[in-house]
Amino acid sequence: MAAAAARWLTRPKPPGLALAFIVAVAFIFTALLFRRERAPDPGRAFPLGEIVVGVDASFPPFALDDGGIIRGLDIDLASAIAAELNMPVRFSNIGFYALHDALISGAVDLLISALRVDPARMDELRYTASYFDNGLVIARAADATQADIGSLTKARIAYEYASRADAEIRVWEESGRSIQRLPYELPEYALDALRLGLADAAIVDATTLRLYQSDHGDWTARYEYVTQDLYAIAIRIDRVDAAKLVGGALDALKEKGELARIIDKWL
Amino acid sequence: MKARTAPLFRLLRRRRGRAGAFVLLLTVASVLAWPRPTSELVPLGEQQTVETAQPRLCVHTLLENEVEEAKIKRSLQLTRELGASTIVQFFPWAYAEPQRGAYSWFHADRIIRHARRQGIGVIARLGLVPEWARANSSGAPTTLNHLPEASFDAFARYAGAFAERYRDAIEALIIWNEPNLSFEWGYRPVDPAAYTRLLRASYRSVKAANPDTLVLAGALAPTLEPAGSAAGMNEIDYLSAMYQAGASDYFDGLAIHSYGFREPPEADPAPGRLNFRRAELLRQVMVNYGDGAKPAFVTEFGWNDHPRWAGAVRPSQRSAYTIQSFDLAEANWAWMEKLCIWALRYPADLLSYPDNFTLISADFSKKPIYYALQDYARGWKRSENPWLPPPRAG
Repeated sequence: MAAAAARWLTRPKPPGLALAFIVAVAFIFTALLFRRERAPDPGRAFPLGEIVVGVDASFPPFALDDGGIIRGLDIDLASAIAAELNMPVRFSNIGFYALHDALISGAVDLLISALRVDPARMDELRYTASYFDNGLVIARAADATQADIGSLTKARIAYEYASRADAEIRVWEESGRSIQRLPYELPEYALDALRLGLADAAIVDATTLRLYQSDHGDWTARYEYVTQDLYAIAIRIDRVDAAKLVGGALDALKEKGELARIIDKWL
Repeated sequence: MKARTAPLFRLLRRRRGRAGAFVLLLTVASVLAWPRPTSELVPLGEQQTVETAQPRLCVHTLLENEVEEAKIKRSLQLTRELGASTIVQFFPWAYAEPQRGAYSWFHADRIIRHARRQGIGVIARLGLVPEWARANSSGAPTTLNHLPEASFDAFARYAGAFAERYRDAIEALIIWNEPNLSFEWGYRPVDPAAYTRLLRASYRSVKAANPDTLVLAGALAPTLEPAGSAAGMNEIDYLSAMYQAGASDYFDGLAIHSYGFREPPEADPAPGRLNFRRAELLRQVMVNYGDGAKPAFVTEFGWNDHPRWAGAVRPSQRSAYTIQSFDLAEANWAWMEKLCIWALRYPADLLSYPDNFTLISADFSKKPIYYALQDYARGWKRSENPWLPPPRAG
């Protein structure tokens, strides 16, 4: 067979045939060079004709089972992504310990469940860009003069006793920062202390600060993040088209301001 | 080129025997000299003792998946420094007997060795089925908790071998974990009679190996699942069914899981409520069946303080409730030997609410509740509230 092919290639051929051969090769090469990436197709990405979202509905205000109806920020976000892709959406309420198994087994297409990006899972999952950062923030009065809390001597810092903020402040103290601790039973009390001028700063998580500000409409704080807790959507690593579509939809929601509206609605 | 290389080939041919022997010798020497994992890689340190004012204080550790020996040692040092004199630790059968009859005690030895050196007693929980013991007649895939009846004796042999090997180090053995949940029973309908047969086989094997080892039954999950539920059976009914199947002769004490969920430790127990004192309902079943003389061990309990999880309490409550539960046991539960907090530390943070059950982060940073418990175990007097009163304007 190989010998026959070699004979055919070395045999003198009519000039027209050789020209056609060269044109064909050039065409294929050009097509490969300038080929456009195939746009992901929602029908192929979600073959059931719907997007099935796994969520642990025990995380208010992100998701909570309200008498059989699941509500929350994550639910609205999933619905907005599905609308962006012109697909119906269905929710599957799954406990945290079974969420990832449900995704890997294909029982659900996505996880939108206040999930933090976990580098240890990246061999089996891919994450979209983050849609919310629930890290700790250090909040100060909007009219506070010092730019940096570290510049204050013996800064009075309010926080919730035994919380993540408490642990963070211990780390600061161990590194030599001079702090006057103001532990409160609840994070809202720590923010009360800041609002009433009894503290120079308060450390709480971003969700708590946003909820507090919505409850105290006449008061605003300026804040900066102390730690990061990035919430993102998880998709099985081999679902490339689904990941592209969902990531694209999330980007579009951000661009249109829709994500900000959803966050403002719940937080 | 040929002229220059020819003498070299001749030399090599002539000296091939001696060169080969030299290379072989060098290889053997390198292999022998190469550093290998040995018991001396992480020094055990000096013998320690646990100083505590709370002898019931115990923590559940998760060292079975800890790869680095230094982290095992550090976890146990922090257990001792906390003032906990006992740990509950899982020893998976699948790790110890990956092939039938061929035991590998390497990892278990490391844990036991460091626990002993820190002066800590061990309650060993046994479970997790090796693949060779899981096969079923249908050939369908099975989970790691699937133990067919044909393998009960094999599991019992493992329990006996464990009891014999660690006869001086372990305080008790727990046979299986939460068999009243379908998930923990290999996704099969739960079966108290079958569990009792497993308990009987294990008890006989353990006692034959070492009559002094305590065998603990149960470790039942607190759940409200009604009879007939696919997910499991509530632990009160399950324990009664175990007694009806003749379990009483095959355990020395009961292991209890008694999470507080969202209620304070003093909240009244009731069959339809999940709370810390639910342990008393199990105790009542023991008494009803004439087992009131046997002790009980709370081998898992605690509260969660995740700021967003619906099943959590505030961190201040978690800290206070945990300490109050020891006071409650001291005052009212003479039958309770140990209260073991779930959990000291996870090998890796799960980045969600389960992390808020632990006393120490995966990076070994101590959480505020660790310090509160440590003070309590030292018998230090606590102020009524370690936090400030709510701020008031003006």
